[in-house]
Amino acid sequence: MAVTIREIDGDELEVLLAKGEGNILADFYSKTCGPCKMLSFVLKDIAKGIDDVEIVLLDYDMNKEALEKHNVTGYPTIIFFKNGQEIERMKGLQQKPVILRMISA
Amino acid sequence: MEEYDVAIIGAGPAGMTAAIYAARANLQVLLLDKLAPGGQIVNTAEIQNYTGMGTIEGAELAIKMFEHTQELGITFDYGTITDIQSEGKVKKLICEEGHSYRAKAVIIATGTKPRMLGVPNETKFAGTSISWCAICDGPHYKNKKVIVVGGGNSAVEESIFLAGLAEEVTIVTMLDLTADPSACDKLRAMKNVKIYEYHDIIEFFGTEKFEGLRAKSSKTGEEITVKADGAFEYIGLQPTADAFKSLGILNDFGYIETDAFMATKAAGIYGAGDIISKHLRQVVTACSDGAIAAQSAAKYIEKTF
Repeated sequence: MAVTIREIDGDELEVLLAKGEGNILADFYSKTCGPCKMLSFVLKDIAKGIDDVEIVLLDYDMNKEALEKHNVTGYPTIIFFKNGQEIERMKGLQQKPVILRMISA
Repeated sequence: MEEYDVAIIGAGPAGMTAAIYAARANLQVLLLDKLAPGGQIVNTAEIQNYTGMGTIEGAELAIKMFEHTQELGITFDYGTITDIQSEGKVKKLICEEGHSYRAKAVIIATGTKPRMLGVPNETKFAGTSISWCAICDGPHYKNKKVIVVGGGNSAVEESIFLAGLAEEVTIVTMLDLTADPSACDKLRAMKNVKIYEYHDIIEFFGTEKFEGLRAKSSKTGEEITVKADGAFEYIGLQPTADAFKSLGILNDFGYIETDAFMATKAAGIYGAGDIISKHLRQVVTACSDGAIAAQSAAKYIEKTF
């Protein structure tokens, strides 16, 4: 049981969402942000124990259109999509159990 | 209910170092944090004064420290402690999340959190362009413009430090400068320093990157805009110690009072890191506290159980 975390861009996110199926956890991060790095560490830990959520990373500084489209105003921001629809979002570093609860919705 | 020799509350540098020392003393260790490993250093862009590390990102150092604890097999869990109760010699830790633990000794390393202004865009730039540690992040602003918010001792001392590096330092404070008069005189005499007293911060601004702040004079109502590359806030620290009030180990300012062995007035309870009453809050002093607290806890357990 494990999933691979991969970096995508805004266009790829839209393709994934347009399929309208599956669970996607999108992490909008910045390379210059400490809490983003720690969140990435937490997500890697989460990825080892799940198999039904695709975790994708989007560089905040490189995906302005995606920020506007999904109204992302700061980093880190994680958004959980189910069947192409946003279910929940959180801003800032989050603890592992909180993220696990979020993606089990 | 899970039982441990030592429960360490807070997984910042003090807590993680305490965990390492306690594990190496053959104790069963529980390391708890309410959020994630690292504590305040996660919000520090770069640390340049932790011996042997040269320059290292705060988050990277936090991850290295955490991995060190995991190499030793230390149990890490998430929990926000709301109370510590005594059950004979044993301590019972109550978590907000509903679970609880027992331990023979407890090390509290919950640290402090900076008071924040609560103005627009503060969170957006926190940890990148807004910092609470001039010693840590000041060198990024060599020959650049910075803002310091606050007028107390920390604000003035750090402004003097920053003025030695930056092209221009602008101090914006809600009252006047309340630091030691000699320090205030020194700051006022520096040529690259501007001071706006009696100004309330309205907001930080910047679309993609930080651009500055807007403030309003509480005397005239006039608004000012200060453009800069980054800002430092020094409006005070807040100990994270609400859960420990009933133990009678806090001083009037909410910090834990400890002796040279990091022992508190409560038997079997130790303090370490920024949460204790001390003069210098740095990663290196937090680690030192953690090591001492773990050794003291080990001796206490050996003697008491």
